[in-house]
Amino acid sequence: MAKITRHEDERLHIEGRFMRESLVDRRVIASTTTEEELRILPDFDLVGIGGQSIFDRGREALFPLVAEIAELHRTRRLVLGVGGGTRVRHTYAIGLDLGLPTGGLAQLAGAMEEQNAIMLQALLAKHGSILMAREHFWELPLYLGSGMIPIVISIPPYHFWEPPPEDGPLPGHGSDFGLFILAEVLGLHRLILLKDVDGLYTKDPKQHDDAELVPRIGARELLARQDGELVVDRQLVQALGRARNVEEVRIVNGLVPGNLTRAIAGESIGTTLVRENGR
Amino acid sequence: MTHGRGPGRRSIPNLLGEAALTSSRVAGVDGESIPLMPDVHVLKIGGQSILDRGRKAVYPLIEEIVALKDRFQLLLGAGGGTRARHAYELALDLGLPTGVLAALGGFVPRQNARILQMLLARHGGIFILHDDFEKLPLYFRLGCVPIMTGMPPFSYWEKPGEVGRIPPNRTDAGVFLSAEVLGAGRAIFVKDERGLYTADPKKDRGARFIPRIHVDELVAMNLDDLVVERVVLEYLRHARHTREIQIVNGLEPGNLTAAVEGKDVGTIIHA
Repeated sequence: MAKITRHEDERLHIEGRFMRESLVDRRVIASTTTEEELRILPDFDLVGIGGQSIFDRGREALFPLVAEIAELHRTRRLVLGVGGGTRVRHTYAIGLDLGLPTGGLAQLAGAMEEQNAIMLQALLAKHGSILMAREHFWELPLYLGSGMIPIVISIPPYHFWEPPPEDGPLPGHGSDFGLFILAEVLGLHRLILLKDVDGLYTKDPKQHDDAELVPRIGARELLARQDGELVVDRQLVQALGRARNVEEVRIVNGLVPGNLTRAIAGESIGTTLVRENGR
Repeated sequence: MTHGRGPGRRSIPNLLGEAALTSSRVAGVDGESIPLMPDVHVLKIGGQSILDRGRKAVYPLIEEIVALKDRFQLLLGAGGGTRARHAYELALDLGLPTGVLAALGGFVPRQNARILQMLLARHGGIFILHDDFEKLPLYFRLGCVPIMTGMPPFSYWEKPGEVGRIPPNRTDAGVFLSAEVLGAGRAIFVKDERGLYTADPKKDRGARFIPRIHVDELVAMNLDDLVVERVVLEYLRHARHTREIQIVNGLEPGNLTAAVEGKDVGTIIHA
């Protein structure tokens, strides 16, 4: 049993490996590295639906997707998230013009995504979806166990405390990153993100005819690439490089019927971002 | 097949257009922002360093805070300490990931904030949650001393660090980020050391004191141990408003007061 001791330094300690240790000390931090972490809830598919890329297209893009999700739900356990789309851009544009700080912008962004989550919930309610508040984090096993489709809030709760970005004024931790970190903490092997492109290209395919789809790329290699869009949050790619649980993030064109089903079945479509850190 | 931008997306015309938002950059915008509440002094009261010492360390600090609170707007953030470490140790042993440790790590600073509130209650101490942050103007107008957890609200959404499973963003980070978003020029950390040393002075007698240092210089020194969480240095480099942090020894009477009055006691790490 742990003992409580008043050390000669006059602090009241609970005896243990970190007693009197600095949790900033690199050697102490390194001592907490392990081969494996507990995978808390690894057995479901987490799917992110792009805000601007999918959701802002409305019925045309969403109705086929909802039908596909309902069909998949017969055999798979699914959890969904959705981005905020163009209204987030508009929020940021107004906020920037008014001189709001990065943390202020981050505090505002989540509301636009919650609107989209409510609309998605309305579309999927009859198939058993449930809009999940962050506070209900530990009810995820209950929802999945009762055959529901939880819809989570994608954007992480960094709010006013969004770390200052190194390269500009916009919050760096968006919806893609938020879903990724959820996958990581719950111990999933992969995350699927639905966008309106077939994946990542060597060049911008709208400007270059010779652009080629990149089927598979490592997180570090992708970060090192100077040209071309990342398609997903830079913070996600950085975090994937350090991930302990998530091995891959699949980017798939969600406008093509059947693509989500194929991705979940493990077919190699779209672009797969891989961790490649040997952890 | 529809591919990428263009028809089909219902977009609102705006400065960012249909930007992918995969990075923080906006072409042509440097993102100069206004300080929201630049007069607030953001202070962290250490967990292991101050609160775990009990009455002997805490009571004199309470007196200093009471003497300052009518002249300055003070926002207090509480650290965790030995109970947080014990929870981390158990959780690590159980194989739990960083995000769960961060969630568990939130409880002890919250307890400590409540402890400080009880001690300051008759002087206007008020315990606040992250969700109460927008009510700060009211609390200050009423002459209150708002007290909150030092932890940022990241919880299960905390990123794993480069190595190990200890959450990189703990109470130093949270207090720094509070200062930055409020637009305070300096964040003050009240600990049990004079400030920054070249090594842990509790263990290394040869440790040398550093009164003032540029953050880049400190990062270049590549010290194994630091007096503040490592992410704070990174944030300090990129912050728009909080360009300095000050670490003072709260066990010496008068240091907290001097720091709030803007005097350069302890160590200043600046950007």
